[in-house]
Amino acid sequence: MNKPGVGKTIFTQEQIQERIKEVAADINRDYEGQDVIIVSVLKGSIYFVADLTRYLTIPLRIDFLSTKASPEVIKKTGVIQFVKDLDFNLQGQHVLLVEDVVGTGLTLGLVCQHLEATQPASLKICTLLDNPNERLVTINIDYRCFTMPDLYLVGYGLDHEEKYRNLPYIAEYHRG
Amino acid sequence: MLITVSRQTGSLGQEITDLLGQNMNLPVINRDVAMRNVFPEVASQHEIHMLAESPSFFLTTASDGLTFAQHLENRLRTRVAAESLIIFGLGAQIIFANHPGALHVKIIASPEVRIGRIMQSQGLEKKDAERFLELSDRKHKRYISALYGKDWSDPLLYHITLNTDYLNINEAAALIQFMAENQQVPTPEADTAVEAQKLKPVVFKHQSEEEFAKILDMHGMEWEYEPRTFPIKWDAEGNVIQAFSPDFYLPRFDTYIELTTMDQRYVAQKKKKVQLLRKLYPGTNINIVFKKDFNTLIKRFGLLKGAQPNE
Repeated sequence: MNKPGVGKTIFTQEQIQERIKEVAADINRDYEGQDVIIVSVLKGSIYFVADLTRYLTIPLRIDFLSTKASPEVIKKTGVIQFVKDLDFNLQGQHVLLVEDVVGTGLTLGLVCQHLEATQPASLKICTLLDNPNERLVTINIDYRCFTMPDLYLVGYGLDHEEKYRNLPYIAEYHRG
Repeated sequence: MLITVSRQTGSLGQEITDLLGQNMNLPVINRDVAMRNVFPEVASQHEIHMLAESPSFFLTTASDGLTFAQHLENRLRTRVAAESLIIFGLGAQIIFANHPGALHVKIIASPEVRIGRIMQSQGLEKKDAERFLELSDRKHKRYISALYGKDWSDPLLYHITLNTDYLNINEAAALIQFMAENQQVPTPEADTAVEAQKLKPVVFKHQSEEEFAKILDMHGMEWEYEPRTFPIKWDAEGNVIQAFSPDFYLPRFDTYIELTTMDQRYVAQKKKKVQLLRKLYPGTNINIVFKKDFNTLIKRFGLLKGAQPNE
């Protein structure tokens, strides 16, 4: 497969799976005896949430959220909109939010406020990649798989213009 | 008009309050009045006895489902709404903390002076007077702490504290009367002015700050613009010689944000200020938006291209 722009592999398929298993073990331990609703933010976290939940042994349900932040929408509405909202009522439930990347924390802040408004019993955050150097909004991350290098990455759900999400590994991408 | 008086035992608080009531022709509500007039309607003889003995018994529920503390509070509120009066003790400085016409007074004296007064008035030996005061102070403290979770000795609960080491009864009563009669009561107009200030549109110093505020708005984040200035350097005499006002504060996330989208020559200086702030104010969350990050955000959300760098 021709993959223009895709550079060296940063996290291999095996590294990703190993690390997700470890994080899943932590989550299984922390939530022992509790039912959990996993909320995944589309689309970047699809592969991550699919693999993570298959390593989880606690009783769980999965829900999805999606936001739209294109310049066109912003110009029209002035706010980022949820284009796919929750199907479940989270009130009184233990919620684990699963993200692909936490960078500035702005989107995460938006999502957290949205989830908190539903009054869950608890809310924790799990991310595949965390870039604390980019952080603007102080939010505690409960579970992280990898610290993100200061590179533009694709694969395992991460895209460049919607391409390369389906790579089973995470690689550097050279833009332009 | 409402005057609340809290006092240390042996501070002449009771005598000052009685004189104040006479001079101003105001009724005084004290513990005895409350016990006589409030509780017989809602408490049994045994419960009245317990109320006299134990501060925490005020949190016991009466037969109608309200606690005795709530009964007392309701009765006090009814009286205060109907007439001007003086309340002596009873946690009134807390119940009416935000009452616009209230004057909250605390009367104190040094332990030595109080012990001397107790020895004289009660005919006690010094060690017995000390014990008497210790128990009495503890009871006052426990009443306020048990019912309202506040520290009775906190000076911020009061408008004025009088030390009767240096004031006699007449002087103290006259001072309180003067204050009560000349009090600057916040007016509705003043409240409106405060509200208007809050609603005043923010004037940003730089275009980049305005753009960043839009980004915060997009994410549904409540923000404040330069709400606080942190002193970060002092001279030998303790005068502030350098201070730092981060651009934004996000109350929900307890985070300050500083934009550094300016000439990169100044970035190092700003980084130093942030480091200093973190060192001097541990636990303060402050993050910097660098030029590159700012441009990425602006591009991502299609905001104003080429927002001018700030200083």
